Amino acid sequence: MPVSPRFDFEEFADKPVRSRRSWDPVVKITHWSIVTAIIANALFTEEGSGAHIWVGYALAAILVLRLLWGLIGPPEARFSAFPPSPRRALGHLRDIRVGKKEVHRSHNPLGALMVYAIWSMLGVIIASGIAMAGPPSTAFLDRAERSGDVSRQLVVEQGGHDDDDEAEGASGEDSVWEEVHETAVNLLYVLIALHIAGVAFETRRSGREILLAMLPGRA
Amino acid sequence: MQERRRSLERRAVATTFLVILQALATIFFIADVAGDIAEDGWSMHLLVETGATVALLAGVAFGALQLRWLILRARFDETAVAAARGAMSDLVRQRFLDWQLTGAEADVALFALKGFDAAEIAHLRGAASGTTRAQLARIYAKAGVHSQVGLIALIVEDLVDSDAIKPVESKTQGNNG
Repeated sequence: MPVSPRFDFEEFADKPVRSRRSWDPVVKITHWSIVTAIIANALFTEEGSGAHIWVGYALAAILVLRLLWGLIGPPEARFSAFPPSPRRALGHLRDIRVGKKEVHRSHNPLGALMVYAIWSMLGVIIASGIAMAGPPSTAFLDRAERSGDVSRQLVVEQGGHDDDDEAEGASGEDSVWEEVHETAVNLLYVLIALHIAGVAFETRRSGREILLAMLPGRA
Repeated sequence: MQERRRSLERRAVATTFLVILQALATIFFIADVAGDIAEDGWSMHLLVETGATVALLAGVAFGALQLRWLILRARFDETAVAAARGAMSDLVRQRFLDWQLTGAEADVALFALKGFDAAEIAHLRGAASGTTRAQLARIYAKAGVHSQVGLIALIVEDLVDSDAIKPVESKTQGNNG
């Protein structure tokens, strides 16, 4: 009978471990929740309304969760995996120029700068929003119910912080916060545009991995 | 192993949603308590509410830690099995070389190691069952065993460190003796 010299070991062929890049569910879900919150507050909620304020608070909670995850999460989600380093970002730019493709376990150095920029901008937006709206609890419930219950009357009697102030011509401090809020939001839109452009560029340069890594279904 | 990994991943996603919901509830309570304190100052009611908020906060932190454990475990599972698989294929390759199996015999032996009987192997390879039986007999002869169980045992024997499995007590007794 014919004797073939080689064994067939395809069944046992080693598969590379975790060659696919993918973010963990916390990173993915917080990312898309923040996207949803930004879209909601940019397009659908009325500025200064209870819904707008609460979406802002929800965004703050999710951002805090992501930052907590940056301390305790799996290795590639931690801050230590993508330190903000202009030097490394310049190195990455050099890599792009000479066409060198390096595999990054976490955000690439340029992407890392973008991440921190977006987070800081969100922080400014949230802080200025809270400075304007204050603790929103009663305002929200009043607006949701519109029933003129006790708490509503309380707010009115106290000359509630939000609407009434604006009606009377916002105090100097508030208009400063408003200025900060709006400027920061506009800067955020610029950052988001850059972020999307960056992802598109990196996708063209190094393949769809970077895009797929943030989509559901590949943990 | 695919199934187990997938179920771990599903649990991780479900837990993530839960932790996010908890975080949203927490921010609601924090804002609510802060607003009440700003309006009315402290009271027993607010004290209790603050306690509940702190508990919720602890729940979020604990949930996040739990989540990390889940995710890392799923990954460890994956890498451990992959490492074992690599080591196992090295071992089998080595043994087959030691026994000087031909290509066809190695193929048959691989199926035999996976637990298929002669008829199934013949069917899988599209060969006559008589041929396969003869090949199996040659494999057993080369490996120095008499049955499929013996063949499998030869491989397993190398893999299992019986010292590591012995109960702790008998081990210490052995050391004393």
